Amino acid sequence: MSDEGVSLKTLSPRALAWQRRGRAAAAAWREFSSSKSGLVGLGVLVLAVLLALLAPVLSNEDGLDVTKATGGRMRPPDGNFWLGTDVDGRSILLLTWWGTRVSLLIGISAALLSVVIGTVIGIIAAHYGRWVSAVLLRIVDFFLVLPSLVLAIALSTVLEPGIGTIIVAIGLTSWPSAARLVRAQTLTVEARPYIERSRALGGGNLHIIVKHVLPAVLPLVFVNATLAVGNAIVAESTLAFLGLGDPFQTSWGGILHNATVDSAALAGAWWYLLPPGVAIGVVVLAFTLCGRALETVLNPRLREPR
Amino acid sequence: MTSTSSTTTPLLELRGLTVRYGGRSGLLAVDGVDLSLRAGETLGLAGESGCGKSTLAMSVLRLLPKSAQIEGEILLDGEDITQMSFGRLRTVRWASASVVFQGAMHALNPVKRIGEQIAEPIRLHGTVPAGHVKSRVRELLEQVELPVARADAYPHELSGGQKQRVMIAMALACEPRLVIADEPTTALDVIVQAQVLALLSRLVADHGIGLIMISHDLSVLGATCARLAVMYAGKLVEEGPSRQVIGEPKHEHTKALAAAFPTIGDPSSRYAPATSSELGLPGAPEPVAEGVEPLLRTDNLRVTFTGRGQTTEAVKGVDLEVYPGEIVALVGQSGSGKTTLARTILGLQKPTSGQVLFEGKALPHSARALRAYRRKVQLVLQDPTSALNPRHTVYEAIAEGLRIHKLPGDERELVAQALEAAELRPPERFMTVLPHELSGGQRQRVVIAGALALAPTLLVADEPVASLDASVRGEILALLLRLRASLGLAALVITHDLGLAWNIADRVAVMYKGELVEVGTVAEVLRDPKHEYTKQLLAALPDGTALPAGEVTA
Repeated sequence: MSDEGVSLKTLSPRALAWQRRGRAAAAAWREFSSSKSGLVGLGVLVLAVLLALLAPVLSNEDGLDVTKATGGRMRPPDGNFWLGTDVDGRSILLLTWWGTRVSLLIGISAALLSVVIGTVIGIIAAHYGRWVSAVLLRIVDFFLVLPSLVLAIALSTVLEPGIGTIIVAIGLTSWPSAARLVRAQTLTVEARPYIERSRALGGGNLHIIVKHVLPAVLPLVFVNATLAVGNAIVAESTLAFLGLGDPFQTSWGGILHNATVDSAALAGAWWYLLPPGVAIGVVVLAFTLCGRALETVLNPRLREPR
Repeated sequence: MTSTSSTTTPLLELRGLTVRYGGRSGLLAVDGVDLSLRAGETLGLAGESGCGKSTLAMSVLRLLPKSAQIEGEILLDGEDITQMSFGRLRTVRWASASVVFQGAMHALNPVKRIGEQIAEPIRLHGTVPAGHVKSRVRELLEQVELPVARADAYPHELSGGQKQRVMIAMALACEPRLVIADEPTTALDVIVQAQVLALLSRLVADHGIGLIMISHDLSVLGATCARLAVMYAGKLVEEGPSRQVIGEPKHEHTKALAAAFPTIGDPSSRYAPATSSELGLPGAPEPVAEGVEPLLRTDNLRVTFTGRGQTTEAVKGVDLEVYPGEIVALVGQSGSGKTTLARTILGLQKPTSGQVLFEGKALPHSARALRAYRRKVQLVLQDPTSALNPRHTVYEAIAEGLRIHKLPGDERELVAQALEAAELRPPERFMTVLPHELSGGQRQRVVIAGALALAPTLLVADEPVASLDASVRGEILALLLRLRASLGLAALVITHDLGLAWNIADRVAVMYKGELVEVGTVAEVLRDPKHEYTKQLLAALPDGTALPAGEVTA
């Protein structure tokens, strides 16, 4: 503490606060990196995101166009097409690669949407209590008991087809669990005496929510979001598989949909089905591994005794 | 059992006991302690939190976490506990020596009836035939003066004092020859505390049990134990007959402990809490002049809670006045409604009827006006550890109020001033520190600094020193006195501790079951109590902390 005393006079309180946050982040990273599975998950995710972002640079989008396809009809893997071709002669490798873009985009956006809705509703329900909480919780319960896939199918049928629709359909059906979680966490935070102190200092509702509740709830929300992305990707694939996706975008679920329509399984074209399926599995698993590792960072009680 | 009590072997003997946490270089909790206790003897173990007294006591039953390394010998009836096999240890635990744990509310299983919980060790050790377990439980409940019908009650249906009695019954269940009581009365009110202590003393004497009682309060130990041992930083610094240790303490630390709890009626501790600060103490204040308007007044204030078809009247028509620059102590048991009264005064709780007047004006209802009011009346909470957001630095905690009220002036300057006023010096050293890096006393100073930053005229302090160590207690009380002298700050101090009132207050208001039963100057109320309840409170104080009424008047 004494060596810091010198630099204190020169730094603004804001800079000091950031310095402290930096140290906290470094400590969290140390804890995260001690989990092997978390690191593997993170590695896979970084790779997937890089591939998705670099797809237009490293590959030729023309390969996705049915009219410009060069391969034969449903050919098994060979030197030219490492993972074979689909019914229109397009490379499955290229399709799966480009599918990463849509699946990740929808997965992350839908998870963010659901977590944002859940956080806002959860905090409001817990903070204001009484009838606000009663009304909001009934709404949460309503969405919780609806079969979310059926609701998502209904929504994507009614709305214009497209990526936006899918995001909204998934986001609107998966927020209730986040809301419940955030509400519970907010209630525990608000029971702490420092909230009472803040009120006695003159702090209003907004002050308490922004300064005390949000910082305490956000890490949990972050973990929840990471885990929700996996679910959202599965939900997106399901919708696309059922033919409710955007027909003009390549997604993993879309490839599987085509494979079913073209009776790939009957034709014995395993290379048509496996790559998108494995991709879904690997990415979802990576998100789950990351989420679990983050959870351990935040909740020391989950750590294994060393 | 291996042997019956003999005159030669002590019941418990510690030889060079050393306990370390976390490896060779780890924390030394107990450092070479020698101690012995014969059957039927009572020993008080005193010291501040972190001095190793609980570690010492738990080592006797080897109830320490795995990271603890024990060196030296612990002889129970001549048999070394550290060398026992696990099976042997299990037989010895509870049957030869048992523990009354700290905090009875957490040591009982909330989903089991208390009768079953008392029976558990009896069944495990098979000390009585299975058919007689019920009657043994009845006998134990009678011994601790609980109605036998309460065996079917769940812990939450019992009061704090009753739960503590259940803990004592559990400790006695297998007729042990040694009982270790770890802070058995910390969370209890004075009156209940006196009852529990009397019960313990009687049981120990009747059954010839050896008792080790742990506390930070010398007066509590003095009331029950024949001998006292004082621990400091893992070492035994003083040992001797209770009277001698309390009356003529030799070690510096014992002196501090003995001085921390004042003798009510002793003029030398009036306006003089034990402090070693070089800042000294201000003299006795001028009496409040006639005709001055009260700073704060409550007018027939009532607060009623309704819930689950029940209405509870927490505050029943309270008229209380606090004058500028005055320190008023609001004294009462837990559940007497004193915290509800404080919350109502701060506008954190709406009164059912009646009103709070500050500077002659009724408490506003609008959020904006209430905010302005809260600038002038500030709150200091009981437990500074939970009153500070663990994620906020000291700087942020103190600047919070400044930012809410958008006070003019350089924020950094104001924070430094507040830290200075709360005697956290130099202020720069504390700004970047997180609450968990501070000691309990320093944390309470941070809470006080946060309140002072807004330049309030009244401080409402809810048990400001209850969770602090004895030596820190005096320092914080002295700080309140100095703040009153330098800033003219008035304070309403809520406490169950009559010694605190004697130390710093000008007037005392005694609250009982939601009503103020007695209000007057400290000398009037504490030296010449009129109401029956006040008399009970004073009578319940452990011996030696109150001079007989009328002997001395301050």
